Amino acid sequence: MSEKVVNLEINGRGFQAREGMTILEVAKREGIPIPTLCHHDALEPVGACRLCMVEITHPNWRGWKGLVTACLYPVEEGLQVTTESQEIHQVRKTILDLLLARCPDAPYIQKVAAEHGVTATSFKKNEVQTVCILCGLCVRVCAVKGCNAIGTARRGIRREIAAPFGMPPPDCIGCTSCAHICPTDAIPWEDVNGVRKIWDQEFEMVRCVSCGRPIMPVTQLEFEAKRAGISPDYMTTCPACSQQKTLETIRTAFTIKRPASEDAVEAAS
Amino acid sequence: MQKTLVITPSRCTACRTCELACSFKHAGPAGLGISRIRAFMFGEGKNQILTCFQCDDAACVKVCPVTALARNEATGAIEVDEDRCIGCGLCSLACPFGHMAHDGRMAIAIKCDLCGGQPACATFCPTRTLEYI
Amino acid sequence: MRINSVKSLTRAAGRARGERKRLETEVLVCAGTGCLANGSMDVAEAFLGAIRRRKLEARLKLGFKTTGCHGFCEKGPLVIIQPQGIFYKGVKAKDVKEIVDQTLLKGQVIQRLLYRDPNTKQRVEQYAEIPFYSKQHRIALRNIGKIDPKCIDDCLAVGGYTGLAKALTEMKPTEVIDAVTESGLRGRGGGGFPTGRKWKTCREAEDPTKYVLCNADEGDPGAFMDRSICEGDPHAVLEGMVIGAWAVGASKGYIYVREEYPLAVKHLQAAIEQARERGFLGDDILGTGFSYDVQIARGGGAFVCGESSALMKSVAGEVGEPRAKYVHSVIRGLYDKPTVLNNVETWANVPWIITEGAAAFASLGTKKSTGTKTFSLVGKVKNTGLVEVPMGITLREIIYDIGGGIIKNRPFKGVQTGGPSGGCLPEGKLDLPVDFDTLTEAGSMMGSGGMIVMDDRTCMVDVARYFLKFLVDESCGKCVPCREGVHQLHQTVNDICAGNGRPGDLERIEALSDVVVKASLCALGKSAPNPILSTLRYFREEYEAHINDRKCPAGVCRNLFTFRISPEICNGCGLCAKSCPVDCIAGEKKEVHVIDASVCTRCGACRNVCPTDAVEVI
Ligand SMILES: Cc1cc2nc3c(=O)[nH]c(=O)nc-3n(C[C@H](O)[C@H](O)[C@H](O)COP(=O)(O)O)c2cc1C
Ligand code: FES
Repeated sequence: MSEKVVNLEINGRGFQAREGMTILEVAKREGIPIPTLCHHDALEPVGACRLCMVEITHPNWRGWKGLVTACLYPVEEGLQVTTESQEIHQVRKTILDLLLARCPDAPYIQKVAAEHGVTATSFKKNEVQTVCILCGLCVRVCAVKGCNAIGTARRGIRREIAAPFGMPPPDCIGCTSCAHICPTDAIPWEDVNGVRKIWDQEFEMVRCVSCGRPIMPVTQLEFEAKRAGISPDYMTTCPACSQQKTLETIRTAFTIKRPASEDAVEAAS
Repeated sequence: MQKTLVITPSRCTACRTCELACSFKHAGPAGLGISRIRAFMFGEGKNQILTCFQCDDAACVKVCPVTALARNEATGAIEVDEDRCIGCGLCSLACPFGHMAHDGRMAIAIKCDLCGGQPACATFCPTRTLEYI
Repeated sequence: MRINSVKSLTRAAGRARGERKRLETEVLVCAGTGCLANGSMDVAEAFLGAIRRRKLEARLKLGFKTTGCHGFCEKGPLVIIQPQGIFYKGVKAKDVKEIVDQTLLKGQVIQRLLYRDPNTKQRVEQYAEIPFYSKQHRIALRNIGKIDPKCIDDCLAVGGYTGLAKALTEMKPTEVIDAVTESGLRGRGGGGFPTGRKWKTCREAEDPTKYVLCNADEGDPGAFMDRSICEGDPHAVLEGMVIGAWAVGASKGYIYVREEYPLAVKHLQAAIEQARERGFLGDDILGTGFSYDVQIARGGGAFVCGESSALMKSVAGEVGEPRAKYVHSVIRGLYDKPTVLNNVETWANVPWIITEGAAAFASLGTKKSTGTKTFSLVGKVKNTGLVEVPMGITLREIIYDIGGGIIKNRPFKGVQTGGPSGGCLPEGKLDLPVDFDTLTEAGSMMGSGGMIVMDDRTCMVDVARYFLKFLVDESCGKCVPCREGVHQLHQTVNDICAGNGRPGDLERIEALSDVVVKASLCALGKSAPNPILSTLRYFREEYEAHINDRKCPAGVCRNLFTFRISPEICNGCGLCAKSCPVDCIAGEKKEVHVIDASVCTRCGACRNVCPTDAVEVI
């Protein structure tokens, strides 16, 4: 990213930002709220939900103004951004209205829609209803982790998040990052008796070396250790046991290193 | 000079004010219980406090797939960028000391961030077991 | 044999021309996809057999070749005999003997095989006199139908690669860009973006690695302009691309062709190999030291992959989905490098501009839309096919003069231009000049040049429904307004066609369309409501009839009308009863027939066959 600093205006207030930052990044930094559904700071923005639309114009654009997605638009010198207007609200409301027709039963969408004043969809509900809003966060998080196990399949209204050919994805390591990042909890998974089930696949889990509690799939452990360049043994104790061990270590150290005489001195003083 | 959180366990009464202060500071009244510091009672003079060591070569930083963990050079604390964290929980598994937790509700990692330079635990510790000096 | 200088190009072209001159007669059989489907390969083989058996080559100094599409596919297979210019249509293999005996040996024209003007009923002998051709002006299609696309010598004989030679040896890259800018050439792929400006930005982009690509995805249903060019004159496209590469400073490029165009792929591939062999492509082109090479990238035929950013992703082997183009692809395109992407037809125009000069191109057409444009003229016109006309010609001229008017001389109702996301224009707009800006202003667009003519038996609501369905299926589904919004628009129009329209539907459609246009990620979504908005603009009363009166005045939406045979008009010919698939028409010969509406499925077969138009919609 360039080091050049540019001046821009958001809602009439002047700000400085590095050239190439997105409008959303600047707005976030300045505490100006812009709603998003498909954005995550750790992931590449894609502009899928269109909820973050804002209006931009520029003194040099001879009055031209238009709506752009804040999550993608790079700021430039002199840019003037408006984050709230009748038109923008109309767009955001319509998008949430459309998403409610798709996912009438997704609590998260109900909540965001309600925040924008949409309590029920004004459209005909989709024939096939889901809770997946196709924000694509799962696909992107999977890519960021380096697995690329899942993607999108089919087009248009039939688009869906899927593993290649609808088969259990061979590249999945069972890490459940996709399920964790999903804003609408649309990806089912479960851990049963040391076996993790996700994407129609079962993963044998590594157990905590002290308490035997399942920690993570064997495949994930191998993958993560290799990626981070550390020994897998680093991650075979569950946090609770690690803490217990630390406590023990400190207590022993403490007892050995502190002769009783010192305690006596302290007590005397 | 950078300040440090100094712990003198022998003064600790395991009153757990630090835990309360920590969770209150980070999560508000809703979040009591998810403290980044813990006090253990073993009897007079033997009580213990555990919280993040802010290791130099930290395992949590190493394993994070999205570089959501980074050291705040001003305070020396390793902080979680909550907007970047994808909640995979690797850091809490990698920490050899069990100092990190995972907030299941928000699906993000939680750890001591020294409250950005004003650790609430130290402020409220009634016995000066915790001092930020 | 490699051609290493302009001189040796001139020599090679002279040789090829000499070969041609030696021939006294030449038989050209169209082997475009349309004619092939009509059996032109059999015709070609019959000719080849006859030529061999009867030693015609030596006896008549006869040449024979198969060519690309002549545009008049409807009448195929086409056979043309030069230099006489005799145009035979609908030729079958069994006609070949007669053609050899009568025309080739005796010089007699076979009346039966000549084109008959549907309006004057006259037989027309000459290719050039057929009204379908006489009003056309061919630049992009200049060589198609004249040359054998598989033979580079044939291409050299008509001046192929002279534009490239001129550009590389006489012009600086910036001069090439200036020429293209002055010519006023605008992209033929739909956007109409000024080509020269695009090249200039790309040339000025910092990154030294640049790409020059050709968009031969042609996703519009019913369009076949680009296919015909790739099949019929692939060298024109290649030559244009090398000139473009020289201008912007690219050394590598791709032609993105859909897998559904096997013949285009084959001919392009052959042309690339021949051009490499001759030194028009690859390293050290024409001995000038400039290098540029092209590869074919095959697409799966998704409409959205014609969109530039999706196309580039697809070429790079990723999922073909558009991205936001806040940073343009001329700056960051294929593999994040500065990239010029132009349409097949745009490329085919470039060599002509270089050889004939920018002014010659700019003198054609209108001020802001120069040159010519190819259209695939289809629908309810008498002559359908591929036409190339100067910009600024009126819709009326295209439909009535070239197209020969509406089939059965029925009343004209509308013309849909611009492909699926274009719009429908009514009779009142027939005299509009066809150029980029006028069509857009009128609520339609030039698009890549689809033109579908519709008569009074077309329901405009149904037309909107059809195109929306296409767009619902072809939307990539990445962004919410396009995926969900266009789906909802389609649902609403579906309901209206099924007779379930509700008051307020039209206002809801307009409000939703507004958001889809403003908020969609790519131009597919941004233009997706066009079919519905343009029909609402010009044919609103038809929507209202569907919703308020539950009537489809055109007699298309089956839930919304019944057929009746008018007793005053019916002459009792009985054709309707014969054509009815459900036997619901009764009546004696020479007496008025009656439809049993309870059985009738409203398929419209009776209406289509009735010679007196007695079948009414009520
Ligand atoms: C949905 C969609 C489909 C498109 N399909 C095509 C196509 O099939 N062929 C084409 O040349 N351009 C197509 N385009 C236009 C291209 O994005 C691009 O503008 C064009 O190839 C640029 O070349 P030009 O300037 O020579 O027209 C399409 C655009 C969109 C939005
Ligand atoms: S957050 Fe910008 S489009 Fe979803």
